[in-house]
Amino acid sequence: MKIQLLSFAALKDYFPSKQELTFDGAKSVLELKSYLSNLNPEATNLIKISRISINQIIAKDSDSITEGAVVAILPPSSGG
Amino acid sequence: METNTQYKHITETKLELSLQLPPLPSMGGYVLFAGIVRDINEGKQVTHLEYEAYSEMANQMISAIIADAFQKWDLQYADCIHRLGKLVLGEVAVLVNTGSIHRDEAYKANRYIIDRVKHEVPIWKKEYYVDGSSEWSKGCLHDSHEH
Repeated sequence: MKIQLLSFAALKDYFPSKQELTFDGAKSVLELKSYLSNLNPEATNLIKISRISINQIIAKDSDSITEGAVVAILPPSSGG
Repeated sequence: METNTQYKHITETKLELSLQLPPLPSMGGYVLFAGIVRDINEGKQVTHLEYEAYSEMANQMISAIIADAFQKWDLQYADCIHRLGKLVLGEVAVLVNTGSIHRDEAYKANRYIIDRVKHEVPIWKKEYYVDGSSEWSKGCLHDSHEH
């Protein structure tokens, strides 16, 4: 399975702003978070408090990520 | 940074306050909120800010928040626009305008829109300080509404 992963704001200190990831099978949002934490343990705390969107819709930890999805890690917002 | 000209609620253009009211004969109350870049945050002197967004998603979410406000209150008018890029002190980061027959709903809807935009919409602020350092704002945790 291939997905596109977008990182924003403080997460760009740990991951590229845009990258393609390939996995053997399907992954849940929670599994993706673990995968990214393992990839860069220093980002773990930030990943824990970030939301994930799949194709621009906020996802739950249990949601599955599908082939070709555009997934974004969204650190806590600070607009306004 | 990508251009955001196609987004109604997200812009890289400087925001100006308009003295023109929406021409709605039944609108008896109009509330304008402006979020402004201030010179201090958590005790640190700020020189300027940079805002970044997941623009397409942010635009959609602000649209949905405005639609929710129309569902909750009998509004004549509601709009919100957020600026991205480098902003210096005193510049306007976000505008929320609401209008209703009476003032109460315009006030309530305005507060509702800005609170949700701050807490939920994927927009981020990087603060630059007098000492040359910079830091991404910690932001609002999505399960917390303490700000």
